[in-house]
Amino acid sequence: MSKKCLVVILVLFLGLVALGCPKKTVMREEPSASQSAADKERARLEAEQALREKEARDREEAAKKAQTEFEKSLVAKKYPGIEGEVLESRLLKDVYFDFDSYDIRSQDAETLKQNAALLTKYPNVKIQVEGHCDERGTQEYNLALGERRANAAKRYLASLGIPSDRMSIITYGEERPFDPAQTEEAWAKNRRAHFVILSK
Amino acid sequence: MNKKILPLIFLIIFFIASWSEARVYLDINSPTFVQIPIVLSKWKAVGKTPPNVAERIYETVSNDLTLSGFFKVITYPTLPPTLQRKEGVPSTVVLQEWTAGGGEILLAGEVSVNSDPLDIAVTFHLFDLVEEKHIVGKQYEGSVQLIRHMAHRIADEVVLQLTGERGVHTTKVAYVLAQGEGKEIAIADFDGANGRLITQNQSINISPAWAPDGKKIAFTSYLKRNPDLYLIDLDGKALQRFSYNPGLNASPSWAPDGREIALMMGMDGKSEIALIDADGKNPKKLTQSHGNEASPSWSPDGKRIAFVSDRSGPPQIYVMGRDGSNVRRLTFEGNYNTNPAWSPKGDRITFCGRVGGRFEIFVIRPDGTGLQRLTSNSGQNEKPSWTPDGRYIAFSSTRTGGSKIFIMNSNGFNPRPLTTSKGGESSPAISRRFE
Repeated sequence: MSKKCLVVILVLFLGLVALGCPKKTVMREEPSASQSAADKERARLEAEQALREKEARDREEAAKKAQTEFEKSLVAKKYPGIEGEVLESRLLKDVYFDFDSYDIRSQDAETLKQNAALLTKYPNVKIQVEGHCDERGTQEYNLALGERRANAAKRYLASLGIPSDRMSIITYGEERPFDPAQTEEAWAKNRRAHFVILSK
Repeated sequence: MNKKILPLIFLIIFFIASWSEARVYLDINSPTFVQIPIVLSKWKAVGKTPPNVAERIYETVSNDLTLSGFFKVITYPTLPPTLQRKEGVPSTVVLQEWTAGGGEILLAGEVSVNSDPLDIAVTFHLFDLVEEKHIVGKQYEGSVQLIRHMAHRIADEVVLQLTGERGVHTTKVAYVLAQGEGKEIAIADFDGANGRLITQNQSINISPAWAPDGKKIAFTSYLKRNPDLYLIDLDGKALQRFSYNPGLNASPSWAPDGREIALMMGMDGKSEIALIDADGKNPKKLTQSHGNEASPSWSPDGKRIAFVSDRSGPPQIYVMGRDGSNVRRLTFEGNYNTNPAWSPKGDRITFCGRVGGRFEIFVIRPDGTGLQRLTSNSGQNEKPSWTPDGRYIAFSSTRTGGSKIFIMNSNGFNPRPLTTSKGGESSPAISRRFE
């Protein structure tokens, strides 16, 4: 055991001499100290490598998880009497409007940024922006208002870099309330731009 | 050989007062308007005619005259006993005895079934009980399936003779009927009878409008996941998608000559008023503002279009030339005025205005004067639409609970539900007369 140890020390010592390290401080180092520094260096490199690999794995996993989360969030939705089937995702959040207004509210800008980030991540996804109104207006004017709301949300997403050809709009006016109750709360929920996925 | 039975009615006029001596018994525009009391004596079923045929015609005429709002109808069961049983057409020499019924006018008639084919002849005579004279008599012959139609024509003739303008009982109403989550287009006769769905596709079908010839209805449907404009026959056949630009295609209004259609069209993400040819081609944008534009309605001379715009803030009624020129704002009272409809005589525009959270029906002259409110504090009242004589306005109202089609005289008098349904009805549109 001690013999083997001596051999190792000798080899390391010779090795250091052979490297011809000019630094006297190193030369003066005890053989055991030199060995420890090399080990540390190797361990550090190894750890760094492992970290990089883990980070890559994590990223991959996160991406996979996000992919799965997005995939998992998709719910097919079929409206009776309306051609085709769309997908809805809770990750694409609605934005809401004030009464008789089609301006994007400042508190909804963040929601649209999150929606845009998701759409950036999935460049193949095509969406339709639905414009909806509460029931308090008249039907035809609400169709016009819904068209404008859908377009306001679409333009906001476009300003965040989402290509316009990935987004279509449709107005439902007051025809598809989220909550059919006749309360201020319900009306506020019904004045919305809703996002559905046409293809992914 | 498959010979189709044509829905023809042959008309024989016995007598009609020449226009020089014709008298209008009722000036419906008079502020002292009082309903004319009219006696409807029992109709005679001649020969082997089934009594129920005569009874059906009687009921239909009686109901029409009541619905017209111009008459206090006195039916035979409410007459003095001696008059109750008298049926058929009296001689002018005995008119005196009918004054006991409390009416100023007498409507009498008879029905006879011809032997072969099973066709019927319906005859009516109208008498002035005050002056004890015959006013008019007519006979209609046709297939037995047409007895309700004959009855409507009799009612229209009575309205013409007594008020100076033909009635509108041969018109039909198209409207939207909620069915589950969807909305379908329905039509019914003016008296609410024969209601039926002409679409049954579970989609969202809205804003029906009659073609000027009454043969087709245009409407918006979401069948192809876009609000497109469709045409359909009255029997629900020959569905045709004919304006389908991506975005909104809604609220069609035919030019009086039938050659063009004004509509709401989504252009660059906002609703504009556009004109398309009758085949749906060649869209032309008429509006030039930054606002949302909605609900075009042609003037009867085809020179102007009333519409809604929120270019100055809340939605208001505007008028423009048919080329989009000379835009003028019409309404300045209230902060939510929509649904304009130009009267067939051109003298009024009816619209829906919000007053304290409620929608009410108004009329205004095309020059912006003469604003008049027609409904008050009775539910939500929306989407007014004229009858072809300009004497009535149909609209939807929630005054009795669910949304139903109502009709009222154009001065707001005599509002009454058009159908007997519980609700779910909206967007009425009255056709031309089917004579």
